[in-house]
Amino acid sequence: MATGRAMAWRRAGAMAPASLLVLGFLVLPMLLMLRYSFNSFVPGKFMVEAVTVENYVKLAADPYYRHVLGLTLTVSISVTILTLIVGWPVAQFLARTQTRHKGLLLLAVVLPLFVGNAVRAAGWMVAFGREGLVNRLLQATGLIDVPLQIMFTPTAVIIGIVSVNLSYVVLTLSSVIEGIDRRAEEAALSLGATPFETWRLVTLPLALPGLLAAGVLSFILSMNAYATPVLLGGPSFQMMAPVVADQVLQRANWPFGASLGFVLMLVTLGLTAGANWLVGRRYGR
Amino acid sequence: MVTGDRLGERFGRLAYGGAVWAGFGFLLLPILLVLWLSFFSNEILSLPPDGYSLRWYEGLLTKRDFIDGFILSLEVAVLATLAGLAVSVPASLVLVRGRFKGREAILNFLMAPLIVPAIVIGAALYIFFIQVEIATDIPLAGSAPGLVGAHVLLTIPWCIRLLTANLVGLDPAIEEAAASLGARGWVILARVTLPLIWPGLVAAALFAFVVSFGNLEISLFLVAPGETTLPIAILQYLEWKLDPTIAAVSTLQVVLIGAGLFATDRVVGLARVV
Repeated sequence: MATGRAMAWRRAGAMAPASLLVLGFLVLPMLLMLRYSFNSFVPGKFMVEAVTVENYVKLAADPYYRHVLGLTLTVSISVTILTLIVGWPVAQFLARTQTRHKGLLLLAVVLPLFVGNAVRAAGWMVAFGREGLVNRLLQATGLIDVPLQIMFTPTAVIIGIVSVNLSYVVLTLSSVIEGIDRRAEEAALSLGATPFETWRLVTLPLALPGLLAAGVLSFILSMNAYATPVLLGGPSFQMMAPVVADQVLQRANWPFGASLGFVLMLVTLGLTAGANWLVGRRYGR
Repeated sequence: MVTGDRLGERFGRLAYGGAVWAGFGFLLLPILLVLWLSFFSNEILSLPPDGYSLRWYEGLLTKRDFIDGFILSLEVAVLATLAGLAVSVPASLVLVRGRFKGREAILNFLMAPLIVPAIVIGAALYIFFIQVEIATDIPLAGSAPGLVGAHVLLTIPWCIRLLTANLVGLDPAIEEAAASLGARGWVILARVTLPLIWPGLVAAALFAFVVSFGNLEISLFLVAPGETTLPIAILQYLEWKLDPTIAAVSTLQVVLIGAGLFATDRVVGLARVV
């Protein structure tokens, strides 16, 4: 039995450093923040110890913050639907292609993921500016005379976030599609189904759990988007993540910032757990 | 009837091909536009450009903000990657090999930094560091250890995920053979296990580095006043203006990260990593 106990100690020792880091740099700070979200904020006096739900009430009742939450949800839902539509063909192509250059194609998907959201937003600013690519092309073709205002609109933010999320969605979907047995599709084709019918009746239903997972991922990433709404939406376009940063850093209103952060986190975690539960129940792993 | 179907099928194939290339184009367009802008000779964005020039790249040498930001990001990312690997390798070994109660729970616990929104982690750490400093006089807020620690937290889930995926495919019989031939635990780890999972190590190191180097949301809360990492410097500049200088900075970042990814693809194959 001594060896069993020694074994258990060695296991604990091997896992301790990583676990303690997560405890000290994530769990404890989150608990402190949860506690502070029930404190109250008195202008001029900073934070006052209390046990009150006034911050959460303010979030639910104040028209401005309801607008922020509503805007964040609207943008996130639009982004998620668009990302799935744009991402599917790319993912299916990546999953099924036999080319030698698959590594390069993957690089094209992964590189945007890694260069940072601010850099990508800069690219979209070149496209969307008053003198930018889109306006110049539309003017050259005679479709418009006066430049369109694209920057600082919901359209610009949605396009920007779609391009950020697309890499994640393509990678998730293509690994799911790769897991689908090709013979199922071939059977449908050999029985006379058209490629579209095969996709609709065989591939899509088999990929549904992956589609759900990719959708949830895209939704979460949009809910938490920071750089893209700040740069493409401008100062008056308020989504949740920039507002959390503003409350904590600029206004020093920790209690309210903490409650905003917690609502954002609960929505995120709730959705992740809900989707996992749904997939587990429906497809019984 | 038949011709109609064929026509439909051909149209469908064409639409599918078009959608695939449009998708790739959409992914790469913003990056290509930034590359293009960095070579414009005119400072204010107007298309088509007056001409092309490399002077913005030369000008970068005098931009202290970007150089300091780059150096800080590099230092933090290297330290975070090394520390992340150091704590994740032993944990991954135990998590893959061991069959014990709570294994699943610990795995999920270590993945948590990936699930909690980065902006919330940043805000919570900022508040926590300040309160710890008030309580104990340990200066954590705006300090290098605080920033690096937060970045190590970020790298853990990526390291664990990539390392465990690699370790699953490793046959324990090889290590048992080494042990039966008299090798001790540390020797087996250094001479047998690590060399066998090195594609996983490379992948974990790369992802950890890139995740840390590119992080904006957490660093935003934790840098000292007047100090910036490269992503923060880029964001703050872009909030103010868009010009070829910032495009040149972005281009250098794209080239650096692109080279790292390309090297990974050559060494271990990107398809095995992502």
